[in-house]
Amino acid sequence: MTEVSIEQLTKDYGTHRAVAGISVRIRDGEFISLLGPSGCGKTTTLKMIAGFEDVSSGAIRFDGRDVVNVPAERRDIGMVFQNYALFPHMTVAGNLAFGLEMRKVPKVQMQERIARVLDMVQLTSHADRYPRQLSGGQQQRVALARALVIEPKILLLDEPLANLDAKLREEMRVFIRDIQRRVGITTVYVTHDQAEAMTMSDRVVVMFGGRIAQCGSPSDIYEKPSSIEVAQFVGQVNLMTMVVEERLADDRVRLSGPLGEAVVPNPHALRKGERVTVALRPEAIDISVTGPGQSATVLSSHYSGSLMDYRLQLADGSRIDVQTFPRQRFAEGDSVHVHAPADRYWLLEDAE
Amino acid sequence: MTTGSSHRHAPLLLIAPAAILLFVFLVLPYLSIVVMSFRTPGQGSPYGEGYTLANYARFFGDSFYLGQIANTLMIGFICTLACLLLGFPVAWQLARGTSRLRGLAYGVVLSPLLVGIVIRSYGWTILLGNNGVINRSLMGLGLIDRPLGLMYNTLGIVIALTHVFLPFMILPIMSAIQGIDPSLESAARSLGASRATIIRRIILPLSMPGIQAGCILTFVLSLSAYVTPSLIGGSKVKTMAVSVVDALVDTFQWPFGSALALGLAVTGGVIVVLFSRFTRMTWKAN
Repeated sequence: MTEVSIEQLTKDYGTHRAVAGISVRIRDGEFISLLGPSGCGKTTTLKMIAGFEDVSSGAIRFDGRDVVNVPAERRDIGMVFQNYALFPHMTVAGNLAFGLEMRKVPKVQMQERIARVLDMVQLTSHADRYPRQLSGGQQQRVALARALVIEPKILLLDEPLANLDAKLREEMRVFIRDIQRRVGITTVYVTHDQAEAMTMSDRVVVMFGGRIAQCGSPSDIYEKPSSIEVAQFVGQVNLMTMVVEERLADDRVRLSGPLGEAVVPNPHALRKGERVTVALRPEAIDISVTGPGQSATVLSSHYSGSLMDYRLQLADGSRIDVQTFPRQRFAEGDSVHVHAPADRYWLLEDAE
Repeated sequence: MTTGSSHRHAPLLLIAPAAILLFVFLVLPYLSIVVMSFRTPGQGSPYGEGYTLANYARFFGDSFYLGQIANTLMIGFICTLACLLLGFPVAWQLARGTSRLRGLAYGVVLSPLLVGIVIRSYGWTILLGNNGVINRSLMGLGLIDRPLGLMYNTLGIVIALTHVFLPFMILPIMSAIQGIDPSLESAARSLGASRATIIRRIILPLSMPGIQAGCILTFVLSLSAYVTPSLIGGSKVKTMAVSVVDALVDTFQWPFGSALALGLAVTGGVIVVLFSRFTRMTWKAN
C-alpha cells in the first residue's frame, strides 16, 4: 500500500508553465480527484505521476522514495486511459495477461489472477472476446481490470468516463468507487466533471492555471470554497455585497444585505460598516408566497425534472438565482418572498 | 423510372472508364501473351502456325532458365528483406518522430522516386564500378587493395533496387504506424513493457497490414525491374525480366519470351498469395 507525496511539482513547456509548484500528500488507500477546466494542468500532473512526462522540478514520492527518475515501465502504476487504450489485437484475457507477462508471473498464478479480476468487473464470460466486440462500458471495465490485475502501487485514471453516455457514467462512478474501496488502492482520478469528483473522491484537488486553488473534502469544496472561481466551478453561486453590522463574541460577524442577515466567521478582523462580498448557493435560498423574507419578482423559471431553477429580482434591483424542488412552482412575473438561513452564507477570502 | 434506373447504374457508370481502360490495356494484352506462349516459333515472322507446349518444355527443361528464375526470386527476397529492415525504423521515426526535420526526412525518403530510373541507374554504375567512387575512396583510404566487385553481380543489383524501392516499403508501414493509437504505447509502458517489447508486441503486429503491403510491393517491383538489373547486371548477371526482353526484342522469339514472362508472373503471384495467407494467419493468431 502506498502513500504518494507530491512536492513543489512543476512542469514547463518552453516559457509556458503548465504546472506551477503544486504539493499534495495522498494518503494510503485514498481516492483523490484532480478537478479543473481543460488546460489547468491536471492531466499533465497525472502524466508526471505516471512517468509519461518529465518533471521540470519538484519531487514525486511513492512511500517516501522519489520516483522522478524512474521510467514509467518501472513505476508499478496501473493506468486507465480516456479512450481505454485496449490492445485491439488481443482478447480481453490477452490484454489482462500482458502486464502479468511483463512481470513474469507463472502461468497458473496468472490465470487465477485474471479470473479473479474479471470476476470483479463482471466480465468472466467475455474473456475470449476482442475489444471491438465489446460495448463502451465493457471496454471501460476491461481497462480497469487490466490496470488492477498487476496489483500496482497506485491507480491512475484519466477522465475514464468522458466517452460514456450519462446513465452509464453514473453507474460506472459507483462501480469504480466500489472496486477501489474493496481493493483499497491509492487512486488519483482526473476529471473536469465536478459531480464525478464530488461523488467519488475522499478529497478533491481543484486546479486552475497550473496551481491548486483548493484541496479538501467534497463538502468542504462545495460548502466552503476558498474563492469565487472554485465556487463557480463546482456549482452555481450568488455573489452579493453585504455590510458588517456588528462583531459577535465568538469571533464571528453579523452582516446585512439585500436578502437579510448573515452570520459568518471573521478571519480578517472586519470592522463595523465595512463592505464585504459573500456567496450563497442557489439551493440555500427558500422561496415562498407569503414569507418570511424579502419580496422578489420571478424573472424566469426553468424546469429540469427533479429541480426548478429560478432567476429572481429583489426590491433593490439585484438579481439572484434560486434552486428548489418543483413541489411548489412559480411562473414568470409572480411575486414571492425569499429567505436564506444566516449560516448558509460564506465570506470570500479574495473578495474586493 | 428512368431516374431510378440511372441511379442504380451510377456506380457502374463511374467505374466504367477505368474498367474499360484496364480491360483493353491489361486484360487483353495478358490474354494475348497467354495465347502467344503456346504458339510455335516462327521463321522470319514473330510466330509460326499451330500451337505447342514446347516453349514451356524448353523453359522448365533448361537449368539455365530455372537458375535464372531462382536468382530473380532471390534478388526479390533479399531486396524485400533489406527494405523491411532498413525501412521499418525510418517509418517508425517518420510516423512518431516530433523532430522539425521530419519534413526533410520525408523528402529524402521520397527522393529516389523523383529521379528518372535510367539516370538513377547510371548514377549507381558511377558509384559501384571498379573505377567508381566507392572503390576508389576505399582504395584511397587504404582499406582495400583491389576493387570490390560491386558491379555486374547480384550484390550490385540488390543494392540499387533496395535504394529505389525503399519508399514503397516505408510509406505503407508509416501510414500503418500512424494509424496506431499512441496511447496503446503508453498503456503498454504503464504495464511494464520496455521499448523493445512495445515494438515487438504492439507496434509490429498492429502495423502488419502495412508491412504486408510494403513487402508485396517491393517484392513484385524487384521481380519485374528491368532497367536497373540490365544496366548494373550487364551481360553477366541476368534477371528474368532482362531475359524476357532479350527473347522478345533482341532474338525475336515472341512465343518463348511470352512463356518466360508468364513463368515469372505465375511464380511471383503464387509467392505473393502464399505470403499474404501466411502473414494474415500470424497476425490473427497473435
